[in-house]
Amino acid sequence: MNKLLSRFPRENGFEITLAGFALLYLLLFAGLPLLYNIVLSFQQVDLMEPATLLRPFAGLANYRDVFSRPEAGQVLSNTLQFVGLSLLFQVVIGFLLAMLFLQDFPLATFMRGLFLAGWIMPGLVVGVIWKLLFAGDYGVLNHVLTQMGILHSKIFWLSDPQWSLYAVIIANVWLGVPFNMLLLSVGLAAIPADLYEAAELDGANAWQRFWGITLPMMKSTLGAVVSLGAIMTMQQFDLLAALTQGGPANSSQVAQYWSWQLSLQTFEVSAGSAVATLMMVLVLIVAVIYVRSTRNERMV
Amino acid sequence: MNIRISALCATLTLALSSAASLAATLSVWAVDEPDNYTEKMAREFAKLHPDIQLQVRKVGFSSLNDEAMRAVMSGNGPDVIPIDNPNTAMFAAKNALLDLTPYLAKSKVIDVKQIYPGPLKNASWNGKVYAIPRGANTLALYYNEDMFKAAGLDPDKPPQSWDELYADAKKLTNAQKNVYGLAFSAVGDEEGVFQFLPFIQATGADWDKLNDPGAARAAAFWQKLLDEKLASPDTLSHRQSEAAATFINSNAAMDINGPWELMAVEKGAKFKWRVALLPPEKAGGTRASALGEQSHAVLRSAKNPQAAFAFLEYMYSQRNRNWNEFGMLPPSKDTVTKDPKWPQAYKTFNEQMQYARPRGPNPQWPKVSKAISTAVQSVLTHQADPKKAMDQAYKTVEATKH
Repeated sequence: MNKLLSRFPRENGFEITLAGFALLYLLLFAGLPLLYNIVLSFQQVDLMEPATLLRPFAGLANYRDVFSRPEAGQVLSNTLQFVGLSLLFQVVIGFLLAMLFLQDFPLATFMRGLFLAGWIMPGLVVGVIWKLLFAGDYGVLNHVLTQMGILHSKIFWLSDPQWSLYAVIIANVWLGVPFNMLLLSVGLAAIPADLYEAAELDGANAWQRFWGITLPMMKSTLGAVVSLGAIMTMQQFDLLAALTQGGPANSSQVAQYWSWQLSLQTFEVSAGSAVATLMMVLVLIVAVIYVRSTRNERMV
Repeated sequence: MNIRISALCATLTLALSSAASLAATLSVWAVDEPDNYTEKMAREFAKLHPDIQLQVRKVGFSSLNDEAMRAVMSGNGPDVIPIDNPNTAMFAAKNALLDLTPYLAKSKVIDVKQIYPGPLKNASWNGKVYAIPRGANTLALYYNEDMFKAAGLDPDKPPQSWDELYADAKKLTNAQKNVYGLAFSAVGDEEGVFQFLPFIQATGADWDKLNDPGAARAAAFWQKLLDEKLASPDTLSHRQSEAAATFINSNAAMDINGPWELMAVEKGAKFKWRVALLPPEKAGGTRASALGEQSHAVLRSAKNPQAAFAFLEYMYSQRNRNWNEFGMLPPSKDTVTKDPKWPQAYKTFNEQMQYARPRGPNPQWPKVSKAISTAVQSVLTHQADPKKAMDQAYKTVEATKH
């Protein structure tokens, strides 16, 4: 023990204490619940039994149970679409907006601030507002689209299984764009202006400057934004609760909401924990990518 | 001693002794609903018993089950919780609720024999009573008299069979004016199941007989209403309150809904309306309707069950106010509603109540409910054919019995 401690220079005691608190916090409030969840997913759980660690061991039965359910395939495909499409549009739109607001025009910073308003609102509130927009018979969205001649008959966004997942994705993209824009703006602002000046002198046009300077310089920021966005999208719950609750008939069901429904609506905690554990593995993979991309950032 | 004085003394001692035994904190959960029933009752009760320290916490109706479940698990729950009536069995089977039978045997306020069999069945498990119904409700058919007349229908002859319901809805639907013939809720949770069960029960099927061909016929009937746009496609995501709102705004000519919407209808509807019994499948056939409403139960972990039960007694003693103040039907035969508001609706809902069937009991009701709502929604969205969907749900329900 003494040997271990002596490896740290004595004057770093303060930093070690701080790190110790952070570590303890993480262990208590993130580590233990995560472990507990993994344990639950291998056990037969009855929610009303007193909380204990010793429950009948179920092996992989809970995982087999989850995958054998008729909705499993649909949930998997929905989750991939939900995360993939949300990310794609959030990053692309966020990037375009970030570049737009980097230009010098009147009220640019003010408008960028306004965009953040969407991000401050709780998901549940955003969900309620989007539910009004998406309403089939009297919704604003259908009204505007028919007035513009884009639609000839109403789309029942939240009740039509062809559309429900995409309705949730649209709302989620709207919710995530400001955050992406903010992070990407910071990244863009950090690119030295003389790089662009030099390129311009060398005769590079705007298109070439984007591909040759902006994109390579933004690589690590983009990596971070994509991974954070993926984690946030996989956590998205409030919007789903307010908009479709995974329906109709599981057409907009995604893994995180399914896990909650299993655990706390039908009280099949074992199955719910199995889904949550699978989600955690996914998040872990993304987190590794995030850590790697921010490590690059430091080296730049 | 004079009889009067002795009676007075007895009352005094009773009051004193009960006051002494009640000195405690009483922690009550109330469902976050417009009528605010439980909280109002708790405040009145606390006023009568100044020695009781009342704590009220509002809980969302849709999260009632999981909040209560977690409270039970942590052993740190409130004393009194509201339970949506089909879920009493689940909590009772898990040994979370106080068996009220011994308290009821001594009670001078609640006479169990007076409680209607349906609500009582939903408050009991294995022959013991675990909750006291605060009232009862059921579903009936609201209809817009003015629209009936405009469509050439006789408001004195509301639909008497599914065929008539379909035909009337068709006549009342006017796509140009954004009017649907019928509004109801097929939303993917308990509310949608609550609305669907009366239809399958009218055919002779039931929640535990979903393989009966009647269940598939009921699902196919709902499918037809949606396919032909006699009801909004958003029926799949509308809650009952949203269905009621379309009726109130004259965007639907008929609405399947409960008495709790009466106040909203009265306040909002700018037309003449009436309430009719839900039609049976064939004219003169079996009638059925849902049986809803919450009950109140005492958790086994309650620190002062005496005070908690006294509160249940107080709520029950106020049942004469159910209809006029809270839009609830009486829970018992001995309830007297003076000058009922909306006399026509009062009469119809009371008559409808005779056909109301309890949901369950099944200690895994949430699982049963989920299986039914998934089946209904997959039929309505044409992802499964009615027979196949109902057979699948039947299997899931059967599995809960083992």
